[in-house]
Amino acid sequence: MTFAISQTNLRLLVDQLIQDGIFVVGPRRSGSMVLYEPLSKGEALTLDALPRRSAKELFFPVCEDILTYERVEGKMAVRDVDRAHYPETVLVGAPPCDAASPAILDSVFSWDYLDDFYLERRKKTTIIGMGCTRGDDACFCSAVGLAPDSVAGSDLFLTPLPGDEYACQVITEKGRSLTADYPGLFHEQSPVDPLPAPKQEMKQLNLERIKNWLDTHFDDPLWEKFADICAGCGACAFVCPACHCFDINDEGSSEKGTRRKHWDACGFGKFTNHASGHNPRDVQNKRYRNRIMHKFKYYNDKFGKTLCTGCGRCVRACPVGIDIAGILAEIDAK
Amino acid sequence: MTPHGATVHVPAPAVLMERRELTGDTSLIRIAPDPSATGWLSSYIPGQFIQLSVPGAGEIPVSLADMPRQNGIIELCIRRVGHVTDRLKALVPGNRLGVRGPFGVGFPVQRMKGSPVLLLAGGLGIAPLRSLLYYLVRNREEYGEITLLYGAKEIRSMLFRDELAELALRRKLRLYLTVDFAPQGPTGDVECAVGLLPDLLKGFRFEANRTYAAVCGPPAVYRCLASELEEAGVAPERILLSLERRMCCGIGRCCHCAVGQLLCCTDGPVFPLSVLRQIPEAL
Repeated sequence: MTFAISQTNLRLLVDQLIQDGIFVVGPRRSGSMVLYEPLSKGEALTLDALPRRSAKELFFPVCEDILTYERVEGKMAVRDVDRAHYPETVLVGAPPCDAASPAILDSVFSWDYLDDFYLERRKKTTIIGMGCTRGDDACFCSAVGLAPDSVAGSDLFLTPLPGDEYACQVITEKGRSLTADYPGLFHEQSPVDPLPAPKQEMKQLNLERIKNWLDTHFDDPLWEKFADICAGCGACAFVCPACHCFDINDEGSSEKGTRRKHWDACGFGKFTNHASGHNPRDVQNKRYRNRIMHKFKYYNDKFGKTLCTGCGRCVRACPVGIDIAGILAEIDAK
Repeated sequence: MTPHGATVHVPAPAVLMERRELTGDTSLIRIAPDPSATGWLSSYIPGQFIQLSVPGAGEIPVSLADMPRQNGIIELCIRRVGHVTDRLKALVPGNRLGVRGPFGVGFPVQRMKGSPVLLLAGGLGIAPLRSLLYYLVRNREEYGEITLLYGAKEIRSMLFRDELAELALRRKLRLYLTVDFAPQGPTGDVECAVGLLPDLLKGFRFEANRTYAAVCGPPAVYRCLASELEEAGVAPERILLSLERRMCCGIGRCCHCAVGQLLCCTDGPVFPLSVLRQIPEAL
């Protein structure tokens, strides 16, 4: 027998979680697009489109306060942000390319000291991943080791079945405890073949071969070919589920203000610009090279992981049509 | 390793105590950090950096210009180059600042024991090297000969000239100064060559096989000096360069200071040339 949940009960689960004080985030229509946003009812859950930005922002927000300061009686009082009060959270409806990224980012946010802005949210969040049935020509998760039915990173994984059911796989203890808390919403049923996963045009990349090429081709005419047209807009980094660069800025006066951490992009011209005017990555193709190196070599050197889930958002978002999957395939063919 | 746990992003309060103008755009400031911070600041190793907060402006990475005092006071040499240092320039003693750190890997002062040390400073690169210089001078008997080659654009932009000359007079170090340009006439009381730092190094005789070289300056200068030192016979493991990168978070997350797969803020800013030669974008 297979564990399953109906589409109606999935929305009921969202309702009940909210009633029980859980912060529930999932894809929902927001203006003209679908985004991961807090849900106020199960009905709002929108599972027919890939959200414009990834689910990364649930753990690592686009912008967040990291401290406040205020002059009080001549002294500067600095207040840390209280992270103990982050709510218990359920992320629902994340496709494999989004569900997989937090587990990849865990490495960078815990390798030396523990970044509890990120880790506290991770600890308190249960991820309900969902098998993907709607790939498009920009998708390449299968090429980087994931798949439309990959359970990596999910605590509970739902696979769409014909009719209005999802097969439900318990992946972790967190997932088990979620199903145990709401037993009435799940049921057992005979195994059914799932809906077909989308076929991806791209064949699996040999990430090791790509890394080997990157190890020895820091200087190569291909970089200019790949990225001389890069506009340096940073869109690829902002929609990426795995990019983790950020900047820190103060907003306020000398009397009172906030220090904020916000996403940044290594494609921006000033990303490495030093106060002296020295810029180690002085032209655009060097910045794009860093993007590829970081994702497919440096992160691997340091943490043994690839910093890409093949979601294809950067391909869709690029205003000049740079296709990271195509670039990787070209490197792989070298 | 990062210094003080999970609150490493929160600066300790500090007070600006004193400011001494060194040149038109560069000053030496003294800061008294809150006693809560003096413990971790006392672990400072020359070449490491701290993040200095200027309320309302932001944070900048800066190396200490001397070792922290017993009473916790630290000295920073600041050039006005951006919006944070602009704001800092307007502050007066008594104004509030914040400090966090120290961060990164400094000069391997333990490993350098018993060896002669050649310090090469270009321009503002003298500021971080000054903390190393004073560390060596205060532990004089543990090191071999100490030599400083310091190049500045012109005489009036040469920092700490009098105190360096005094140290030389007291035979604490061998001092060689050079300026890129000199107006007609004498260069002042201190003997000073005219020419580029790498040229000064070219004619310089020293025990290359035993020496540790500590280099800090603008990238064009350290790039050049690294090759000269190698040519002179200093092993790349003993050529220590302090890299100039834009450190931001200080704790290996934000990636602004990435040097290949390494990060200036956690793996550096001081690197042996032997390591940097393996990283194509380092120099």
